Amino acid sequence: MVAYIIRRLIAGVVLLVVMSIVTFALFFASPIDPAQFACGKNCSPAMKAQTAASMGYDDNFFAQWGKFAKGVFVGRDFPDDPKLKITAPETIAHCAAPCLGYSKERTSTVTDLIKQTMPVSLSIAVVAFAFWIIGGVLLGVIAALKRGTLIDRGLVGLSLVLYAFPTFFIGLLLLKFVAIQWNWVPVPEYTPIAEGGITGWLSSLLLPAITLAVFFMAGYVRMTRAFVLESLSEDYVRTARAKGLPKRTVTFKHALRAALTPIVTMAGLDFAGLMGGAIITESVFNYPGLGKLAVAANTDFDLPTLVGLVILLASFVIIANIIVDVLYAVIDPRVRLS
Amino acid sequence: MTIPASEMEGHAVPPLGESEEGVAGKVAGRSPTQLAMARFRADKLSMISFYVSCFVVFAAVASPILVKIGVFDPDGLNQDKLNTDLGGIPHGAFGGVSWSHPLGLTPGNGEDLLSRLSFSMTYSLGIALTGTLITVLIGVVLGIISGFSGGFVDATVGRFIDLTLSFPQTMMLLALAAPTVLLIRKDVSELPLLGFLENPDLANGLFVVIILSAFGWPPVARVVRGQVLSIREREFIEAAKLIGASRKRLYFKEVLPNVWAPILVYTTLLIPAYISAEAAFSFLGVGIKPPTPTLGNILRDSVSWTTADPTYFFLPGIVLALTVVAFNLVGDGARDALDPKTHR
Amino acid sequence: MAISKKPFAALAVAALATTLVACGGSDGDNGGGSKSEGTAGGNAIFYNGVRNTEHWDPQRMYIGRDLNNSGRLFYRSLVAYPASNDPVKGTTPIPDLATDTGTSEEAGKVWKFTVRDDVKWEDGKAITCEDFAYGASRNFATDVIIGGPANYLFTYLDIPTGKDGLPEYKGPFKKTGQDLFDKAVSCDGNTITYKMKKPWPDFPQSIASLRYLDPYRADLDKGDASNFQIISNGPYKLDGKWTEGTGGKFVRNTNWDAKTDTIRKALPDTWQFKEGDTEETIYEQFLAKTGDANFGVTERRMPPTFYSRIAEAGKLYTKVESPFVDYVLPNFNSPVFKDIKCREALKFATDKTAWINAGGGERAFTPAYSAVNPSVPGYEKNAAFGDIPDNGDIEQAKAALAECSAPKPVKIKFTYSGGTPTSDKQASALKAAWDKAGFKTELDPLADTYYSVIQKPDADFDVTWGGWGADWPSIGTVIPPLFDSRINITPSSNGNDYGNYKGGPEVDAMIDAAYAETDLTKAASLWAGVDAKLGEDVAYIPLEITIFNFLHGSKITGYSNNVSTNGYADLATIGVTK
Repeated sequence: MVAYIIRRLIAGVVLLVVMSIVTFALFFASPIDPAQFACGKNCSPAMKAQTAASMGYDDNFFAQWGKFAKGVFVGRDFPDDPKLKITAPETIAHCAAPCLGYSKERTSTVTDLIKQTMPVSLSIAVVAFAFWIIGGVLLGVIAALKRGTLIDRGLVGLSLVLYAFPTFFIGLLLLKFVAIQWNWVPVPEYTPIAEGGITGWLSSLLLPAITLAVFFMAGYVRMTRAFVLESLSEDYVRTARAKGLPKRTVTFKHALRAALTPIVTMAGLDFAGLMGGAIITESVFNYPGLGKLAVAANTDFDLPTLVGLVILLASFVIIANIIVDVLYAVIDPRVRLS
Repeated sequence: MTIPASEMEGHAVPPLGESEEGVAGKVAGRSPTQLAMARFRADKLSMISFYVSCFVVFAAVASPILVKIGVFDPDGLNQDKLNTDLGGIPHGAFGGVSWSHPLGLTPGNGEDLLSRLSFSMTYSLGIALTGTLITVLIGVVLGIISGFSGGFVDATVGRFIDLTLSFPQTMMLLALAAPTVLLIRKDVSELPLLGFLENPDLANGLFVVIILSAFGWPPVARVVRGQVLSIREREFIEAAKLIGASRKRLYFKEVLPNVWAPILVYTTLLIPAYISAEAAFSFLGVGIKPPTPTLGNILRDSVSWTTADPTYFFLPGIVLALTVVAFNLVGDGARDALDPKTHR
Repeated sequence: MAISKKPFAALAVAALATTLVACGGSDGDNGGGSKSEGTAGGNAIFYNGVRNTEHWDPQRMYIGRDLNNSGRLFYRSLVAYPASNDPVKGTTPIPDLATDTGTSEEAGKVWKFTVRDDVKWEDGKAITCEDFAYGASRNFATDVIIGGPANYLFTYLDIPTGKDGLPEYKGPFKKTGQDLFDKAVSCDGNTITYKMKKPWPDFPQSIASLRYLDPYRADLDKGDASNFQIISNGPYKLDGKWTEGTGGKFVRNTNWDAKTDTIRKALPDTWQFKEGDTEETIYEQFLAKTGDANFGVTERRMPPTFYSRIAEAGKLYTKVESPFVDYVLPNFNSPVFKDIKCREALKFATDKTAWINAGGGERAFTPAYSAVNPSVPGYEKNAAFGDIPDNGDIEQAKAALAECSAPKPVKIKFTYSGGTPTSDKQASALKAAWDKAGFKTELDPLADTYYSVIQKPDADFDVTWGGWGADWPSIGTVIPPLFDSRINITPSSNGNDYGNYKGGPEVDAMIDAAYAETDLTKAASLWAGVDAKLGEDVAYIPLEITIFNFLHGSKITGYSNNVSTNGYADLATIGVTK
């Protein structure tokens, strides 16, 4: 078991390294000059060259990646200029390990930016997750148990229609009507638990979480329905029924349990992906999370922030994958063979 | 913002026992395909959706012709029909509905909305279909190879899938959009035969297709691999191997015909997902830009006219919803028809 | 420039207008606003909207909105503009941290100011002459203090320029060439002296309009890391930290003494700055008249989607002509527009009315006839554009196009700053007009990459879009920054001269003559002459002047779109009621 976990961990690290190299390569090949953006608009060629040097953009691909990787473990200084270190050390930005880079556009280390925005994205993800899992699975089970009836058709139809509209459409309508015009809830503004308590935090997350949940829920209703129907037709369920077990026991103890396992796995991976910030939802509601940061960084081609974010989010997914795999191995001994 | 990966995998693989049963049941004189078709036809909802989808496809194909012969004019200005004091909303009821503009006009420029919506299908559907084809192609080829070969090849493809899935898709889309489109238009279009990519619409469209398929194939590959694993030990494969069939023949003549059903279902479900995705991308400013119409860029503009011009706000939303729902129901219908066991 | 209607395109200029022509029109809705006098107390909100503040470092700021707001709430300069909507009063500097508006010697080549001895920083330290000298020196650290309008100082201050085109003084961090700076900017007790290479008659206006000569604390300077650090000497100070994308909260600065300050009323107890809301969200809230937005003001313009609901807003609606001009620029490096005849064809084909209608109609824009805004002293309708009908002259366009040397049909590429539905609509409208005259236009909307593309001299666009407003009321802050090839064009960049226009010796001499003229009225007419020459060459084609349409919260008092703040809300006088 331990050997398996270690093997998975090593694979994860290798994946992360490869992933970061690919990311660097993708951005390095870009025809857009990041120094131009870091330097701002009224920037002479000489000033641009200075900026490029201070950010390390003038290095070759491998040197840039090397510096980045080194920075993750030992930190970096921006600009890394020995002369400036003597004359004006206070102007050098130190980026402590784990350093994911320094953003000239936002005058902040990427690590700090992430620390600032992460709680927001995480909050939305957690609440939305709760909504869609509870809503999606519950409605899916109901639809399956009532299959063929009006309820079933209605639920499946509704989830289809909701799924058809893009997130931004639903989000904008909720914001405009529910919050502003009808004033049922205040205009959402992220409130940390420290400021508004659990209720303040939760109510501030209501609309964004619903917006996000609607998108996922539609899928989960259909998926749950399909899985439950499938397991209801399995032989062992038939056997259980034939044994004379009560219908309720068969449905909930045997069929549902089997159906829900794969759903939970998938939900875990979806959640990991969501921690990366729901870009559209955060933009619509102006929530200062990772997604909004990505949009802002993209507007001024803030390369360190973009690269830092991509690599961080990828590591979430990779870690979530490892956890899911290990959990699987614990639950299902056959997996260990592979 | 494409289909959540989980949903795709949710349409799990219908076990494919039927192909052989079908052979055995030849007495009845109906192939499994015919049986499935009959089941599909019997389902009213599926048939209605099928007709709606056909209509959408027809609009997509016919619009360029109608534009060419002058019936549709998606980017012709009718600013004289707008109230320029109120921010350019059309004069007249329901967003300027008239005989010559049955769905009214767009605010600002007064373009004919019917022409735009119809012509947008050409682009939106074009992107969705191309994206789906490439996605499925990559997924199927890698899935078959990986499932059939096993061992090192299988492991490599598996890691490749892990790598692909680890990238945050929307963020990559956003970050790569500007540089990639620039690259396509400047450098890729220099290559022989690719000069047409200098066109910004095609370059932007191609970028969306690339992103959709680059991040969309892993679930397909997984599904196909699963299928292949279950049939590679079957007797007919053994038999083919014994005869000395080539690898290519094994993959594409023996294995592929036996996994086509889940692929078909998957394909029909990918199309609507990609249509929605195009719309979502437009909101982020990625994709084909106006005046060339796509469902996404029309919706992006229309969504801010809720109060000022409700007709213009509602129509594009309804068209998008109808299209996506119809294609989805066709997909559902196809799945049910091909695999009646699980769902009836 | 501060207008930030389109991403990036108008980044550069802090504009200042002399006359904000209150828009006439029969609807009688001009001059709105809440004129009633406010009382102290309460919390006011400023919505920055989707355009984040990029710098709070006074030497790095160059966005009109941020220059205005910081000057009204927490940064003071030697001289500043009073809160006034009078075209003359609102653009005439009055003493702020200095005892007078400065004295000049040698016909404007030397300027002296005396710093008041009763003004303090937020931590109680006195503001000294050395703080001003240090602030000025930061402009020269071109590798750290990026983004500001330092170019004006490089042009004027008496510090030699090196081979790379940058001054030989490298700023207070590297200290290379410190003696050169100390000779140009020096302190004698409380009196600071600036020495110029050439006369700078409107130097005080440049101080009042920009913030680059604000004082700065050497002991608190962390270079790049000070970007969002605010060391206040005005009535408010930052409470906690500024968070980009969210904003920050300002509270009263107890070390600010109202007696030393005639400009800032400082009525609200706190000012909350909010970033990231879309125009739609901000304006829906203003109209709904519920919640916090009642206490809000913004610099974001009302989107055209709201024009049909202006009646709902009543007195909360204000409308004022902005000090900005938008225009298109033919690319002089393009094979088509090298030829004057082709440029003339484009000029005649340009349909301002269609462009304006697509962007929201006559409520949103008014046609422009020069790259110079009518509010700048010396403005004249450019003869080259004044006589063409607003919707273009198809016949003349076709005639000129017939003489155009480019192969027919003349294919052109219009690269513009897209990314919003409105900008895309406007481009479509312009394309339709050009195509009607016989061009074959390809639209090339760029969002994020816009200026990095068009600033390349070898870029392959034929026409591009630009917008500008004067840095202070002088055509000298419009034409040279945009069209003087000597300061703009280098082998790798065209600076702000997006059309790669090279006036040659004749235009260069005209610009130099206008610069050399110390009588501002005479200089203005010389500048107008340069503009006329640009019109003859079709260096640009003017489109429109933006009209500001604003709403503000229903509980805001003392709201006015002053000349002294470029037509934006003047925060100096704003208060809130309960």
